[in-house]
Amino acid sequence: MNCHDVDEIAAAFALGAVEVNERRAIEQHFETCREPHVELRAALGVGPMLAASTEPMPPDEALRDRVMATAAATPQEHRGFATARPVAPTIGRDRDARPRWLSGWGSSTLMRGLALGGIAATLVLAVVAGTLWGQLRDREELLRATAMAIANGEVAYRVQGEAGSGYLVDTEGSGATLIMAGVGELPAELLYELWLIDAEGVPIPAGTFRPTTDEIAVVPVAHDLAGFTTFAVTIEEEPVERPTTDPVMVAPLQG
Amino acid sequence: MTGDPTQAIDDAVLAERISSGDREALGALYDRYAAMAMGIAFRVVRDRAQAEDVVHDAFVAAWQKIGRFEPSRGTVRAWLMTIVRNRAIDRIRTIRPSLEVEAADQQSLLRTGANPTWDEAVEHLSANQLRLAVAKLPDEQRTAVELAFFRGHTYREIAEITGVPQGTASGRLRLALAKLRESLQLTDAAPITISSGPATWSEVDR
Repeated sequence: MNCHDVDEIAAAFALGAVEVNERRAIEQHFETCREPHVELRAALGVGPMLAASTEPMPPDEALRDRVMATAAATPQEHRGFATARPVAPTIGRDRDARPRWLSGWGSSTLMRGLALGGIAATLVLAVVAGTLWGQLRDREELLRATAMAIANGEVAYRVQGEAGSGYLVDTEGSGATLIMAGVGELPAELLYELWLIDAEGVPIPAGTFRPTTDEIAVVPVAHDLAGFTTFAVTIEEEPVERPTTDPVMVAPLQG
Repeated sequence: MTGDPTQAIDDAVLAERISSGDREALGALYDRYAAMAMGIAFRVVRDRAQAEDVVHDAFVAAWQKIGRFEPSRGTVRAWLMTIVRNRAIDRIRTIRPSLEVEAADQQSLLRTGANPTWDEAVEHLSANQLRLAVAKLPDEQRTAVELAFFRGHTYREIAEITGVPQGTASGRLRLALAKLRESLQLTDAAPITISSGPATWSEVDR
């Protein structure tokens, strides 16, 4: 690519509207070229101007909590944490239909409101046993019913991520229970590790599990949830004391 | 856009605090730019839930990769908004290969790099004024810019979509940027990152 070619697509380059090979060719051109390329200089940096021209749109209030919760469980690259992660499990969920953490059912207040008794105990047992699976085909409905039942006065938190989706139920005094559907498969040498993270961002290992053939995973969590601000799940090769990979599930523990 | 130099300073301070692992600083950055990020993401993906996913991913990426941010090469806002745009485009892209988001984040520092010509417009003009400048572009140029920046198409694809030769498509982008500069009364190109030498360009794919 010569100087003329570069100038011809300078604007497209600045707008990110060139093919990958063209982008690399332009970059290579600049490895040796000493021409001023005024037009390209003028075009670079236009992106943020166009971005700033868009109408602001306040996001849902819950998004802030979601961002902060994920950040709490996400190591920063430059601070020496491992950045490599095992291959994430393949899960049967449309990429574009990713769940919105903490929206609606993610509110612990709402969860408490839904924590009605009555049929609760019966549903818990039924769900855990899997007997309702055929009746409640929609997973969301099943999980809502599960949450209502299991909660029964306890605090329940919605958890969603690449590892699956479900509820984390505080069973005060005896730890907590993670009930999750759609658990992503893992290679035999890997496992899921649960983490409870305090306000200082310190993760405490809270259990491990491997996917089974059961459609619903019921996993004991080794600590009460009180005093922790975030729940997370990572994929590890063995139980570890500190996460070595990025989380595949993060949920704030609030309320 | 704000015209407030203290905010630029605050942004730099926030970036430093985020770099030191201060999540409250991330929250402050979020409070400051989430609506802008959401606006960009929504304009690209055109779905509120997906736009929120994009914004979430972008702020988490900013947290995770803040060590790569170099203040000398651009503002935090520019870096963040380019990450938002890159991720939004990556989300809607179904046929073409991925934007290579990781590389694009790096590249964003170069593309967004400290070019006073555009930075001044963002700092000193309102979003309405910026929108008006874009709105004043001739239809074919505005469409080309929209397809390139907010829909993630290459100039070759734009040519196909709009039924014109590739040279015409790239020419419309050139004319659009020139007209925008004129409309925003920007000065001629000021020294930017590439003026510091070719090494800057080689950093892109690190």
